[in-house]
Amino acid sequence: VTGLHSRDGEIEAFVVDRYLESLLARDPDPGADVPHEMRATAVRLVRSLPRFHPSFRFEEELAARLAFAARSDAASGETLIALPEVTRTPLPAPAGAERVGPTPVRPVLVGGVLTSAAISIAGAAYVAWRRSRQPDGAMLRAVRAVARARTV
Amino acid sequence: MARSALRKVTRAEDAGRSPIARLDRDRSLVEEARADPSRFDALYRKYLAQVYNYAVYELGDHHEAEDATERTFLSALAALPRFEERASDADGEGASTFRVWLFRIARNAIAERRRAGRRRPEAPIELAAHAPDPVDVEGTIVRREAAASAWRAVDRLDGDRRRAVILRFVHEMSTAEIAAVLGRSEGAVRVLIHRGLRRVARDLRDLRGDGG
Repeated sequence: VTGLHSRDGEIEAFVVDRYLESLLARDPDPGADVPHEMRATAVRLVRSLPRFHPSFRFEEELAARLAFAARSDAASGETLIALPEVTRTPLPAPAGAERVGPTPVRPVLVGGVLTSAAISIAGAAYVAWRRSRQPDGAMLRAVRAVARARTV
Repeated sequence: MARSALRKVTRAEDAGRSPIARLDRDRSLVEEARADPSRFDALYRKYLAQVYNYAVYELGDHHEAEDATERTFLSALAALPRFEERASDADGEGASTFRVWLFRIARNAIAERRRAGRRRPEAPIELAAHAPDPVDVEGTIVRREAAASAWRAVDRLDGDRRRAVILRFVHEMSTAEIAAVLGRSEGAVRVLIHRGLRRVARDLRDLRGDGG
């Protein structure tokens, strides 16, 4: 019984794995035999777990250190092994990717700071918010009046 | 139906044991770096963010992550002449064995940092909290709450189950790649991810107070 149970678990895991493969290819399989709750959780993890990027300064400093180490390596005359020549065919684009709609936006942070991509998204949201506001509301007029009064 | 599909995968895994059936997508960059170590820069630029990101998730500290990242790339550069390509059909389309190799070096570097670590680890989402969005405050709070609860649920998972979930959902690695990084079979990784996802779903449901 334990063996059968374990095999069932492997089969479930395999079905979920196939679904995740399609989800990460931005073409989630609507017919996959995966419970709704697990699908929703998978989508949530893909969308909300942030990615971090090192700071530009760290990137350039380490690049310089590696370049120095590479020069030292070359100067030491170590034998380098060449791999045989092989042709590679380009990967096909995921089929039906356009059906997914907008690519899930995942937060990206550079050493704890928002990236320019994230800032531009925020900028677009700000413009949309401004457009949805009354151009000259009573509050705005009051604020301007106070500001004018202070500068005089 | 699922059973027959499982049998197919098992056969593919068996076939995958034959040497070099599929190519490493980084082969040309690796060749160039081996011929001229100064060309390693292309591999470095390509994988820097991934390695750093992996280290941040594992160590929970930007400075520790920078140290581990630096060690990873310096070790990789030194060991590049000994790198062996072992791509197979089971690695899937676009798999990169160089990436797997690099992540295995990173895993060792992270383990070293963890042993020597003095800082109290922070959850990545707490690190992200240092970056307030001054414009879309409400949206930021909602997104941060969603991310924070998701992260907390993932963070409660045990060792390799948590690692497998992060490699799958953050790094978007294939099961074969994760298996190679963690030194486990693909079947074991599939089960780790399945159980991890089920546990995260249950925790998020409990958080919402849905009960069952």
